[in-house]
Amino acid sequence: MMQDLAKQSRSITSLRDFLELLGDAGQAITWSERVMPEPDVRNIAVAASRDANGAPAIVFDNIAGYPGKRTAVGVHGSWDNIALLLGRPKGTTIRELFFEIAGRWGDAAAQISTVPEARAPVHECRIESGINLYDVLPVYRINEYDGGFYLGKASVASRDPEDLDNFGKQNVGIYRLQLQGPDSFTLMTIPSHDMGRQIMAAERTGLPLKIAVMLGNHPGLAVFAATPIGYEESEYSYASAMMGAPIRLTKSGNGIDILADSEIVIEAEMQLGERVLEGPFGEFPGSYSGVRKAPIFKVTAISHRKNPIFENIYIGRGWTEHDTLIGLHTSAPIYAQLRQNFPEVTAVNALYQHGLTGIISVKNRMAGFAKTVALRALSTPHGVMYLKNLIMVDADVDPFDLNQVMWALSTRTRADDIIVLPNMPAVPIDPSAVVPGKGHRLIIDATSYLPPDPVGEAHLVTPPTGRDIDELSKKIRAMQLGALQ
Amino acid sequence: MSKTVCPRCATGGALDDYQGKEGGKVVWTIHRCPTCCFSWRDSEPASAIDIGIRSADFAVDAANLDRYVKILQQ
Repeated sequence: MMQDLAKQSRSITSLRDFLELLGDAGQAITWSERVMPEPDVRNIAVAASRDANGAPAIVFDNIAGYPGKRTAVGVHGSWDNIALLLGRPKGTTIRELFFEIAGRWGDAAAQISTVPEARAPVHECRIESGINLYDVLPVYRINEYDGGFYLGKASVASRDPEDLDNFGKQNVGIYRLQLQGPDSFTLMTIPSHDMGRQIMAAERTGLPLKIAVMLGNHPGLAVFAATPIGYEESEYSYASAMMGAPIRLTKSGNGIDILADSEIVIEAEMQLGERVLEGPFGEFPGSYSGVRKAPIFKVTAISHRKNPIFENIYIGRGWTEHDTLIGLHTSAPIYAQLRQNFPEVTAVNALYQHGLTGIISVKNRMAGFAKTVALRALSTPHGVMYLKNLIMVDADVDPFDLNQVMWALSTRTRADDIIVLPNMPAVPIDPSAVVPGKGHRLIIDATSYLPPDPVGEAHLVTPPTGRDIDELSKKIRAMQLGALQ
Repeated sequence: MSKTVCPRCATGGALDDYQGKEGGKVVWTIHRCPTCCFSWRDSEPASAIDIGIRSADFAVDAANLDRYVKILQQ
C-alpha cells in the first residue's frame, strides 16, 4: 500500500490530479450548497481548518454571482493532505513527515520537461483584450477587514531583470496580491525576498519587470515555492527533485517559464516607480498588516484551462492552511543548513507562525554548545528575519512533541540560560516588533548541563521507547477507535 | 462622478468594477475607491461595508495619505 501511495504521489501533474487523489482518500469534498462569497467561503474554510490533522480540501461550485465558477480552499490544509502529497498514508505523524522531507533534501535530481505552448493545458483559453480579472477569478474577502480581494496562494514567476536568460535566477514565490481594479493588482514583498530584490533592481536600472502569476498549481510547487532556498536555485528544479517526479513547464505569453498544467496564469508588468495603497491583510501571525504603498502591476494577458479552478487559502489566526502548507518546508531547510556545520542537530520544528518560534534538538558537544547552534540558526536564510524565539532541547527530546519540550523547559532551564538579542531584524508584520522590521530575539537553552558546569546533574528515569512502544500506542488507539464504532 | 461613498475613507466617487449576474440579473456589484484603493462588494455583511458600523480602527484618513509608507524604496 505504501508503494502504491508513493507511485500515486509521483504521478501527480496538476491540482486536478491531486484533488482526485484526495477525493479518493476522503480528503476532498465538493460544496454544492449555494453560498455567498462573504462571509460563507471564509466561515467554511475556518471551520475546516479547526482540524489540522484531517481537514479535507473543499471545492465550491455554487457561489452566488459566480455561476459556473469553482473555488478550492484547504488543498494543503491538513497533515493528512500533506502526507498524501508526499506518498505517505493518512495518519502519518508530523515527525515522520519531517524526516520524509529532510531525507529527500539534496538527494534527488530535477526532471524538467518542456511542453510547447500550443499543447499546454494552461493555454487552452486565452484573453488578451478587454481584460477583467473578475471575469475569471471568483474572489472573496479572506478576512473581514482586508483592504480588498486577495489572491493568497498565487505562485509568482519572474526573471531577474538584469539576467533574463538565467534559469536559476528565475524566481518563483508566493506573494500576496490585492486586486486593484479589473486589470491591475499590487504585490507585497520585502527587500530580503527574491521578488523584492528584483523589483528594486528593475526600478534602479529602468528595466521592465514582467511576471506570470500562477493559480491552481501542481501541489508540490505550492509547497516548495514557499521554501526559503538560495537566490540562484530554481524553485522548479527544487520542487521536482523534492517530489521525485517530473515537472512540466511551458512559456507564458510574456516569455517566462510557467507550469504547463496550472489552472490560471495572469501575465503582468510592473509600473516602474508607481505605488498605491495596499492592505490591510490578515496575515500569518494572526493579525492584520498595516496599510502601505506597494508596487502595482498591469495585467497584459490571462491564460486558463477550460472550466478553471480558482485556488485560494484561508490565512489568519492559526492554525490555518498556511501553517500546514509551509510548516515542514520551513523546518527542513533550517535542519539541512544547520547540519552542514553541526551534524549534532537531530531535528528542527519551525511549524509555528512560519518559524517565529522554533524548537531545535541537538546533541550537546560541550557545555553551552546549544547556544552556539542557536546563533548559527539565526544566520540561516530563513533565520535572518523569522526565527524570533528559539528553544534548544537535547537530542533525547522530540521537538515535535510539545509535552516533551515542556518537560525540558521545566527541568533543564535556568533563568540565566536565556539570551535576549535586542534590536535585531524582524518580519515587518510581526505585531510584537519594537517597530515594524526591528525587534528582539530570544534563545532559551533547555538542554542539560555538561562539564565543566557541575550544577543540575540528574539521574534520569529511562522510560521504555522505540518501535515496540510505538506499536503499542497504535494498538491502543485502534482499540479505542474500535470501541467507538 | 458616482455618488457611491467609500466605507473606509468616506470619500465619494467610487467606481463600479464588476457585477455578479445570474440569469441576466445583477446579484451584487464590486466597487472600488480611487482615493484609498478599498474594494468591496455591496452584498457583504454590514460590519465590513457600512461606514456607521465598521470598526474605526480600519478607517483610512483620505486627507492624510502621505502618512502611509512606500515599500521597497531605493
